[in-house]
Amino acid sequence: MSGRRSVGGYVRAVRTSPVTFSLVLAFAVGATIVAVTGQDPFLAYREMFAGAVDGSGLRNTLARSIPIVGMALAVSVAFRAGVINLGGEGQMVVGGLAGTVVAIYTPGPGAVVIPLAMIAGAAAGAAWALLPAYGQTRLRLPILITSLLLNYVGRAITGYLVRFPLADVSVTLATTRQVPETARMPKMPVFGGVSLSIVLVVAVVAGLAIVYSRSVVGYETRMAGYSGRFARYGGVPVERQTIGVMLVAGAIGGAIGTHLIIGESLRFIDGELVLSGLAWTGLLVSLLAANRPVFILLAGLLFSGLQIGGLAMQRNADVSWRLAQVLQALVIIAVASRLTLRRLRRREVEQAEVAEVILEPAHVGEI
Amino acid sequence: MFEQLFDSALADSAIRAMIPILLAALGGMICERAGVFQISLEGMMVAGAFAAVGGSYLVQSSTMGIVFAMAAGVAVSLILAFGAVTRKGDPIVLGIAINLFAFGITGFLLPQIFGVRGVFQDARIDGLARLPIPLLSDIPVIGRVLFTNTITAYLAFLLVPALWVFLFRTPLGLRLRGVGERPGAAQTLGVSPARYKYAAVIASGVLSGLAGAQLALGNVVQFAENMSSGRGWVAVVAVMLGRAHPTGVLGASLLFAFAEALGFRFQGNGLPVQITDALPFVMTLLALVVARKRFARLLDLTTASA
Repeated sequence: MSGRRSVGGYVRAVRTSPVTFSLVLAFAVGATIVAVTGQDPFLAYREMFAGAVDGSGLRNTLARSIPIVGMALAVSVAFRAGVINLGGEGQMVVGGLAGTVVAIYTPGPGAVVIPLAMIAGAAAGAAWALLPAYGQTRLRLPILITSLLLNYVGRAITGYLVRFPLADVSVTLATTRQVPETARMPKMPVFGGVSLSIVLVVAVVAGLAIVYSRSVVGYETRMAGYSGRFARYGGVPVERQTIGVMLVAGAIGGAIGTHLIIGESLRFIDGELVLSGLAWTGLLVSLLAANRPVFILLAGLLFSGLQIGGLAMQRNADVSWRLAQVLQALVIIAVASRLTLRRLRRREVEQAEVAEVILEPAHVGEI
Repeated sequence: MFEQLFDSALADSAIRAMIPILLAALGGMICERAGVFQISLEGMMVAGAFAAVGGSYLVQSSTMGIVFAMAAGVAVSLILAFGAVTRKGDPIVLGIAINLFAFGITGFLLPQIFGVRGVFQDARIDGLARLPIPLLSDIPVIGRVLFTNTITAYLAFLLVPALWVFLFRTPLGLRLRGVGERPGAAQTLGVSPARYKYAAVIASGVLSGLAGAQLALGNVVQFAENMSSGRGWVAVVAVMLGRAHPTGVLGASLLFAFAEALGFRFQGNGLPVQITDALPFVMTLLALVVARKRFARLLDLTTASA
């Protein structure tokens, strides 16, 4: 549908979009917060913008967008199927450590070890995601809660492993050894060196865009997201689908975790992957983009720019980079509070259905 | 080994660990009863902890710390009230965003106001005193564990029976439950669901703020970034496990707090901190598996939306 839109149509769509409104609102509230703490909001925003694109800013923005977009894609796979996976962090951390171990301890040329490490990371992330998935399909435990609680458990397990069995005893940090030079994700000579992983991320964006819009699986998962009962009535195996989307989400998360070590930090340091809050930023990005891959790419670049620019703002304007996190959360709060009329109507319909079930015990809806 | 593990010091640290979880969970329980899905307890707790330390430091009074904490909890709670009740937004999306907002804003204000990163400690922060209750505090073991406590702890203890009476023995409580269970019927009877939902969410803000105050002025006297470290989520589970019933919520909170205290003790006995930190979460997950029949409603809620 968007293919036939004129330029003016696009401009109008952007101008009237609730997302645009939410962004403006978030920046306005952010400016107020900065002003209240006695700093100049205009200076802060100027430094933030400049920091995201000037000098090494653009390269850093691109580099940080890799995990943000990646984690957002992982979230989108689950969310659009109505599976509320809040375990991205755990899946990223567990997969990241597995990939790192393979990268450190597997001998061989990079062309073999690097793909192997990514696959191992993806497999471990998927396996970790399988726990809450089975919890929901077999034990009827909501993924929302179990996946979140497992984040803390995953962090504890990896923290233990890097402090004891896998520790590099030559340093005081709780960390693994450094990833050997041959097993590091290569950087491409663009914008001063961007990890090859960005190609993978773009490929996943394209792949998911096609799967979502053109395939049966994409259609069925979306139907399940709208209404599990409706999808089940239409013959969609919702339970199997829950397992499937969790596996894919976990695999993407695990691969991103691996990338963050073999392409960025080069050591798995206890708590480092959690500290950056990338999984949660990814979640917000997916919400902002309404789970659509191409929009995730754009929103991911935006949030990445906010964070990288935020660091420059902290250096040059003495305003904490955490303002970026505040802005991100505010955008989503604004979007969630505004995109409500459609939701409201759907909920009223659901309530009407529930009322019917109560009045009429032998309801067709009971499948 | 076990005689060493279970003693009054363990009971004492379990009770201390329980207070923040219980306070937040009681707030979550009120929301659950009013039909508001409340998962931003974590965010309100961390905001409360920050404001408690900030207020106590600025005014050098722990009482003002508590007042600040409640105000911060209410301020954050109003975001959910407006978004989910007035605007009918998705409470799950809002809850997640509110938690991240609270972590972001406290992490932002910490260097901006106090000029430090990570942890804020200062001799001028007035911690909550442990006030022994005359006579009762002289009872062996129980006296020290229960009746030599902070004001927020006493409040938490009193709220369990008080909320039971409120929910099940007062007209106001009946209407609140009516709003949660049959909003249409409540409206027909002239009860405004929105007003009750707002009140419930604000109450959870007050209680989660108090939970933060207990955490930052009672259990320790400092603010550390992300210091709620999952307790708000454990409180969400405590509401589910306790079937949104005061005594059930108390039991669930005590169970998790006991796991936390036990982890602390194991740590003293040489177990690595990474493993003992996971103990309350493992315990929570196990409790979920054991009591799994209870979550059908939440499951329906979470699989229908997003």
